Amino acid sequence: MMHTDTQTDIEANTKAVPLTKLTRGQSGRILCTESDADDSSMLRAMGLRPDASIQLCRLGEPCIVSLMGACGGGCRIGLAKDIASRVMVQLDDSSAH
Amino acid sequence: MSTSSTESHIVPIQRTIAVLGNPNVGKTTLFNRIAGIRAKTSNFPGTTQEARVAHVKLKTKREEIESVLIDLPGIYSLHLDLSESKVCAQVLDGTSAPAGEQAQVPGTLLVVIDATNLMRNLAIVGESLAKRLPTVVAVNMIDAAQRRGIHIDPNKLAECLGCPVVLCSARTGEGVDELIAKLAQAKVSDRSAPTDQAGIERWAEDVYAAVSMPSDEHGGFRDDTLTDRLDRAFTHPILGVLSFVAIMTGLFWMIFKLAAIPMDWIDLWFGSVGGWVGSHIPQGAIHDLMVDGVIAGVGGTVIFLPQICLLFFLLALLEGTGYLARAAFVIDRALRPFGMSGHAFVPLLSSHACAIPGIMAARAIPDKRDRLATILVAPFMSCTARIPVYVLLTTILFPERPLFQAYAFTMCYALGIAAGLFTSLLFRRTILRGKSRPMALELPSYRIPDLKSAFLLTLDRGMIFLKKAGTMILAISIVLWWLGAYPHSAPTDAADDLRAQAESIVDADESESLYSQADSLDMRNSAANSFLGRLGTAFQPIFAPLGYDRQLTVGVLASFAAREVFVSTMAVQVAGSDDVDDDSVLDSIAYATNDDGSRIFTYGTSWSLLFFYVLASLCLPTLVVTAKEAGGWKWAMLQLGWMSLLAYVSAFAAYQIIIMAGGT
Repeated sequence: MMHTDTQTDIEANTKAVPLTKLTRGQSGRILCTESDADDSSMLRAMGLRPDASIQLCRLGEPCIVSLMGACGGGCRIGLAKDIASRVMVQLDDSSAH
Repeated sequence: MSTSSTESHIVPIQRTIAVLGNPNVGKTTLFNRIAGIRAKTSNFPGTTQEARVAHVKLKTKREEIESVLIDLPGIYSLHLDLSESKVCAQVLDGTSAPAGEQAQVPGTLLVVIDATNLMRNLAIVGESLAKRLPTVVAVNMIDAAQRRGIHIDPNKLAECLGCPVVLCSARTGEGVDELIAKLAQAKVSDRSAPTDQAGIERWAEDVYAAVSMPSDEHGGFRDDTLTDRLDRAFTHPILGVLSFVAIMTGLFWMIFKLAAIPMDWIDLWFGSVGGWVGSHIPQGAIHDLMVDGVIAGVGGTVIFLPQICLLFFLLALLEGTGYLARAAFVIDRALRPFGMSGHAFVPLLSSHACAIPGIMAARAIPDKRDRLATILVAPFMSCTARIPVYVLLTTILFPERPLFQAYAFTMCYALGIAAGLFTSLLFRRTILRGKSRPMALELPSYRIPDLKSAFLLTLDRGMIFLKKAGTMILAISIVLWWLGAYPHSAPTDAADDLRAQAESIVDADESESLYSQADSLDMRNSAANSFLGRLGTAFQPIFAPLGYDRQLTVGVLASFAAREVFVSTMAVQVAGSDDVDDDSVLDSIAYATNDDGSRIFTYGTSWSLLFFYVLASLCLPTLVVTAKEAGGWKWAMLQLGWMSLLAYVSAFAAYQIIIMAGGT
């Protein structure tokens, strides 16, 4: 995505960041969700599965993400900040798009 | 399968068609398209899950298939540890069926998926294929997908899945006839999907890549900036709350304003039916039972039906727009500190019409402790049955001062909500220890709501309310009537004296007035001597610290069955007439006097009663529903005990403070 700044670009290639560290409009790929088994499998069934590409549409309470690309762009999910902070994401670097 | 008929004439075949799909894919709208208005809602035995069931004849060219269509709860996966997922899995295995239906492996599985969100939806298709049932896949919302530039190749998809695929739109009706025809040709897929979750996800990705048109890869899908803007407005900390307040104010305004018209009709109708029955049945016990027991009791319940129906209709419309999911997040922020989640929004909102549908709506709350807290809190919301009591008491407290009446009225609502929040906070720190589960909720696309679905849902909820509360209230009314009417008392000496006096008076008006005074005396006497009256005398010492005399105690006791009974009970006791529509009767309640001549409704007792009626659990049907939905009578008893305690203490405090401050 075009909104990523260079600072986060460098981080993106090296480590996972919580979803809540993204800025609005940034996108990335889910690595894992660090919550209990019930929540994780629910999120996974809702489409927040490892390797899914998502875009952050709103940061705050709630966080809103859009499952995009292969998903057809039609799916938006609202997440309590508490849950969003446990979703680990690898940022897309700007050249990937 | 018996469906592969070789005969050319019409053969009736009965089979079950289970409709499965993710939430928010328009499954119910599609179901209603196929089933029409013949569907009914049934529970799955032993669970709080429900499904709509319709017996339909699906007509194809060659045959007419008698089918049982079951609209299963919307789920994201068959394998989640959630009650709705388990129920769906059991139905597909033939081990569970909605009440009234035979449990059998479905003859056909109709999987409804959302064209605008194909890849995630394919996961449940993959899970379904593993069941080896004749399957048809309906790709719904194809109109919305096309508008967004999403193109799906149905033939390729059918090839990948190995079963018939129909592109359709439940909203416009496009493709529905083709779908019905395809249902007759359903066959077990010759393809198989992986069974592990990661495998299904990869499979879904591959299928998606194969069926979506390559032209969309470049430039991506049209981004929906309107949805994005609306979402950010509706979940904004300030703007979101403001729009929430505006929408809810509009909702309640409509519920109270619009429902008033049919409520008046119902009131008139029951009044005239009562009059007609009263004049056609000879005087006696059966006459009284019919008029004072059955008709008055049922009428008193049915009168709330318009508000309940309107609430459900408007809620269904609001849900259809997609707004409710956003509102849930707004309310989540407010409820979380008190230990409830945004999922409690619809149950608590519904409880302002009636706690019964409110508690039933709590079924949708995924976390058990969150659900229990919501059920226990729901009856604190001021339901419409409290309104007649609020009206009576605020009128008595502030006669001729409508502004103060309105303040007091609002205070009642606020007090109920505050008590609910306090209760939740307390229970979540003690018996239901733990934090409310953070919400993760799909935010469906904004749409124009489907009127037909909203109407059918309203019809359904209305019937459930009538059946559940109606039968109960009917029984309670009969018992109450009996307790109030028996044993009969002989006319009192004082009344006889008055009658004798009346006979000797020539002036018709004056003698009429003496006669009615005599009747009123007799009525009060028999009310005092009836079983209910004696109960009042026995229980009065308990309520004395709240400032209630014997007659008020009877009113309160009668209210334990249903609180709206209070006004009519007081009318019967003090005025000798239960026609509370008459202003003069309301006045006669307001200025009624005790046996020793002092006023019953003093400033102190009125405030005390107002607190009591806001907080007390005065509704038997609610307790029954609580016991059922919470899973045991201990929860209903806890609710009753806690609400009674809170009501008693508050009413006591209000009365004693006013007395101490020198009020009366």
